[in-house]
Amino acid sequence: MEKIRLDNISFAYAQQKVMIPVIREVTLSVKAGEFVTIIGPSGCGKSTILSLLAGLNTPSDGSIRIDGEAIRGTGSERGVVFQHYSLFPWMSARKNIIFGLRQLKKRKSHKELAEITDHYLSLVGLHDVGDKYPNQLSGGMQQRVAIARAFAMDSEILLMDEPFSAVDAKNKMGLQELLLNLWNSGAQKKTVVFITHDVDEAILLSDRIVIMSACTKGIKEIIPVHFKRPRNRATLIKTPEYAAMRHMLINSLFDDLIEEVAV
Amino acid sequence: MNTLCRAAKAPDTPQKWFRKIALRPQIRLADILFISAMVLASLPGQRTTAFEFRGYLMALLVLIELIHQLYRTLHKNPVKKRSAGDISAVLFLGIMAWELMTSHFDLLQHLLFPVPGKVVAVFIAELPVFAHCLVSSLGLLGAGYLLALVTAIPLALVIGWRKRLFAAVNPLTKVLGPIPPIVYIPYAIVILPTFKCASIFIIFIGAFWPIFIGTLNATFNVDQRLIDSARVLNVPERTMLFEIILPGIMPAIISGATLGLVFSFILLTAAEMIGASSGLGWYVKYFSDFADYPRVVAGILFIGCVVTAITGCFECIERRLLSWKS
Ligand SMILES: Nc1ncnc2c1ncn2[C@@H]1O[C@H](COP(=O)(O)OP(=O)(O)OP(=O)(O)O)[C@@H](O)[C@H]1O
Ligand SMILES: [Mg+2]
Repeated sequence: MEKIRLDNISFAYAQQKVMIPVIREVTLSVKAGEFVTIIGPSGCGKSTILSLLAGLNTPSDGSIRIDGEAIRGTGSERGVVFQHYSLFPWMSARKNIIFGLRQLKKRKSHKELAEITDHYLSLVGLHDVGDKYPNQLSGGMQQRVAIARAFAMDSEILLMDEPFSAVDAKNKMGLQELLLNLWNSGAQKKTVVFITHDVDEAILLSDRIVIMSACTKGIKEIIPVHFKRPRNRATLIKTPEYAAMRHMLINSLFDDLIEEVAV
Repeated sequence: MNTLCRAAKAPDTPQKWFRKIALRPQIRLADILFISAMVLASLPGQRTTAFEFRGYLMALLVLIELIHQLYRTLHKNPVKKRSAGDISAVLFLGIMAWELMTSHFDLLQHLLFPVPGKVVAVFIAELPVFAHCLVSSLGLLGAGYLLALVTAIPLALVIGWRKRLFAAVNPLTKVLGPIPPIVYIPYAIVILPTFKCASIFIIFIGAFWPIFIGTLNATFNVDQRLIDSARVLNVPERTMLFEIILPGIMPAIISGATLGLVFSFILLTAAEMIGASSGLGWYVKYFSDFADYPRVVAGILFIGCVVTAITGCFECIERRLLSWKS
């Protein structure tokens, strides 16, 4: 069943008096419970697409539908983790999560909220820094708090913009596992749109990988990933199929760079 | 390692001792100045009043030195210690200059420039009156200033947040904001029923514009990432204004509020000088009319102390509100 549909969307940023087109006629459909990853060169408009999906910007053309209905602004069925900065600096890590939970309008006691918060903080490995303010935490720790908040809010759709980019390798693996577990658990699988620069991460996590071309050139290729789940990182990496897919992805990404250099 | 330990335990050589003292000349400077000021105060000058009130002056000098020494023993930070010494040195120098100009060289007019000892004596004697004046002044200041805070901040938040409202109101603030609030005083006294109402209104106006304009501009220019983070959590407008934007622009609000406080204090004293029958501004004006200048100087110094205390409290509140920034 189709969960998210981008229909021929275009978008341009208004800067002073000129419009800078970034997205031109992009169409994409994401099934319910599907894990879709978007990769592409820096500045190609990945974050812009995510902001359109989140409802922070409205496409100048085309429509975005969720469950068949055109979206109007932000919605509580979508949880977002930004590429940069999404914590409120005057709230401690714990308060940031509780604040998010309180906006859900599910009646919950203080105790329940605190329990959920502590649970997710320890899942991302941060149970002991809950009372620190964001600027007392490292970039990777801040990112993990933001992830914990999005996970705790338990929305049907997760939109994540390079969420693990600032996290060290060890924690990154843990968080990838965690994300897959959360995606899979619950009565209904979540639908995830995930942006990354990391090809291995894309293969490990996704059902489909969307490769974007440079700015305004739209989607270049969509590659389904058929490896059986649960995927074991250690064994998967050794298979020739994995090497072939990795090679194909890198070539596809690289093409663009070569084109760019040639121009 | 061993030699290091022994060196640390060894008694101070004369060179070391000299370096210890000489490298911190400000300790000695403040202390030397203290002793000089005490000697100066005890010597008879050309004015008999100075000699008569020398005990008060010496008490003041001892008080300053005591506070200085107490501060030095309580604080560890060498930079702070040094500036405490420097501040006392400046105070001693100022008092000595005053004493020399009035009593010893008798350069200044007797009536207009009282000797420091006399002012200290008056200051102490007048403390009950000062307290009374302070209560009346703080009543007006508190009423006007709090009124400005509770109206300016929410109003500015709402107007700054609604872009269309901002565009409509901003030109008006540009015209009304810069009007010096002093010019409202005569008019306010005429149109408002009592002097009390008029002063509260004037203080309100003085504090309102800096707070309002500071908050308005900060709201309009608030960091978009903050807004986006809140929007994806689907916060309602009320929450957006009071739980996201308000704390987000707190630094700007505080600087507006500090400016507003300074303005409101100026206007308070100005208004009191014009039409009050109590209060700090009234006190200074009243005794100038009687040419009682020791009281005038004591009153001015007391106002200085009050302003310092209020600003100190304000900085405390600021530090608590912005503890997350450190
Ligand atoms: N607020 C903005 N105003 C104007 N132009 C913008 C704005 N945000 C992004 N752009 C432009 O839009 C283009 C796409 O930006 P976007 O952030 O979507 O890229 P991205 O694919 O997420 O890149 P990265 O991988 O580096 O995060 C860039 O060329 C950028 O300069
Ligand atoms: Mg991006």
